[in-house]
Amino acid sequence: MPELLETVDVAKYFGGVRALDGVSIKVKEGSVIGLIGPNGSGKTTLFNVITGFYVPERGEVWFNNERIDGLNPNEVYLKGLVRTFQIPRLFPSLTVLENVIITPPYQIGERVLDAPFKKRWEKQEVDLAKKAVELLRRFGMGKYIKSKISELSAAHIKMLETIRGLLASPKILLLDEPAAGVAYTTAKELFEYILRLRSEQGLTFLIIEHRLEVLMDYVDYVYVLHNGKLLSEGKPEEVVQDPKVIEAYLGG
Amino acid sequence: MEACPIGSLNPGRGGEDMVEFNVLGFLIDWSTFFAIYAILAISLNLEIGYTGMANFGKVAFYAIGAYLSAVLTIVAFLTIFGVSAPLYSVDTVIALGEHGAELPWLNIGLFILSIVLSAIVAGVVGYLVTYPTLRVGPAFLGITILSFGEMLRFFLRNYEPLGSTYGLFGVPHPFQWIPNPTVRTGIYALIVLGIMFGIYIYAERLVNSPFGRVLRAIKDDEVAALCLGKHVPRIKATVLFIGSAMAGVAGALYLFYLGSVNPDMFIPRVTFDIWAMVILGGMGNNKGAIVGAAIITFVDRALTFITPSLGLTAYITPDYIRWMTVGLLIVLVLLFKPGGLIPEKPIKTPALEIADKIEEG
Ligand SMILES: Nc1ncnc2c1ncn2[C@@H]1O[C@H](COP(=O)(O)OP(=O)(O)O)[C@@H](O)[C@H]1O
Ligand SMILES: [Mg+2]
Repeated sequence: MPELLETVDVAKYFGGVRALDGVSIKVKEGSVIGLIGPNGSGKTTLFNVITGFYVPERGEVWFNNERIDGLNPNEVYLKGLVRTFQIPRLFPSLTVLENVIITPPYQIGERVLDAPFKKRWEKQEVDLAKKAVELLRRFGMGKYIKSKISELSAAHIKMLETIRGLLASPKILLLDEPAAGVAYTTAKELFEYILRLRSEQGLTFLIIEHRLEVLMDYVDYVYVLHNGKLLSEGKPEEVVQDPKVIEAYLGG
Repeated sequence: MEACPIGSLNPGRGGEDMVEFNVLGFLIDWSTFFAIYAILAISLNLEIGYTGMANFGKVAFYAIGAYLSAVLTIVAFLTIFGVSAPLYSVDTVIALGEHGAELPWLNIGLFILSIVLSAIVAGVVGYLVTYPTLRVGPAFLGITILSFGEMLRFFLRNYEPLGSTYGLFGVPHPFQWIPNPTVRTGIYALIVLGIMFGIYIYAERLVNSPFGRVLRAIKDDEVAALCLGKHVPRIKATVLFIGSAMAGVAGALYLFYLGSVNPDMFIPRVTFDIWAMVILGGMGNNKGAIVGAAIITFVDRALTFITPSLGLTAYITPDYIRWMTVGLLIVLVLLFKPGGLIPEKPIKTPALEIADKIEEG
């Protein structure tokens, strides 16, 4: 299978901090890849570089045989590369449902000339709302469809951040610690759902997780970051045996 | 140019013919002002209330509409009636007075054309002025437009062909050919109210759509909106186009009501009046903007009508009383209803109805 996403020798510095220092990863289409590493190892920064949030100091990002570093976040998103935030960035003046249905790109009703004419976009809106409601219910949030964000618990907020990514119908979904703070059973359900999406729709995932054991059963391949560099990579069962990985986790 | 006594919302003319209180005259005057300011408040609300863009230069686009309509109408009259005189001259005012009621369709045609062109020109200027600043952050946007408005005013004050500080006079009323001034201004008031209502409906539909949802998202967190694929700079510029176009329309309506225009009608205070309306009525709610406009224009017009009979000294003008009243109103409202009289409500797209239906069955 072809590479869907690839970073080549990517570096990103914050003053003296080398958050990323020459990181190359490859993500095949239809795979579920883990990105792990201790706190501060550069995982979120790698997401930020891939999604156009930061311009890298060095290196290249390729998606679908196209170079995408230097593009704006909205342009990257429209190519089908959707990410979630480790600290969810939801919209407090919108309801839960609206926070989800805002994610699909190219909505008819978002075009200023079509917006005043409900007839033109109503059908699409209804379809999206149905899908969104289904997703929300699947992950135990059916009760909160019309709630404001301020009425949700931290775990629900985290879940919502992931759910909205799912509705965007991306080619690849980059999830930043989707299981953090979420109940164990919900996290398990989420990962199982991810595997199903992969097999049913060929969706690709790159998932950040701080704790390796959480991801073990679900990912095909793991990259381990440490101090901005790749420390190890391989199948999850190989990586957990890697002495360098064990040391990095124990040491810091 | 007889009926309308003008006070503080439009500095320039005195209300000397208002000896006794004329209820009909007051209602006509107030509803015209109310409708014009409601348009401005709706336009500002679209920018600040829904999208979170602090526009401190709303008055500039209002001025553009008024000046553009004045120039267009005067030039058209002079050309059609073969008068060659500068726009600002006694000859021009005399010619406009002579021919202003001859061709009803000319007046009406110029009125409509002025509205359309004011919307387009003010909209394009709004788009152009603000587009480069949108990327550098919200504070710059407000300051840039504020300065733009002041620069425009100082330019007009010094630009002789447009009458410098005196401005332009004698623009024929669209219904100049109706002899009875009460009927004339009454019809005009109804038309302005109608246009305001149309703009209200448009704004309501716009904000209660997926587009409106994106606007609120931008207000909450524009970086997150950008990361969800929304072209934030372009959407903001679009909103400023629409908001400025609405202000341009208001400017045209103002010009034809007064028949004259001068640079000092467009001081920054006008912008802050509009802000006061939006804050009082409720940010992020079009009905609130209208209520705010109604209250503040009412206070303003009422004081303008009443003060001459109060026998106050020259130092206490209607302006002072108005400022105190409006200030007090805002303090009281924000104290008891921090969201304004009609606070922000959830967006009405069919999505939430769907959720209800699914929940039931
Ligand atoms: N915007 C920023 N400004 C300064 N330093 C940053 C910024 N973002 C991340 N860093 C630093 O870069 C390093 C990597 O951070 P991050 O990518 O968030 O790690 P992780 O997601 O693996 O926990 C950390 O040392 C962090 O402090
Ligand atoms: Mg992180």
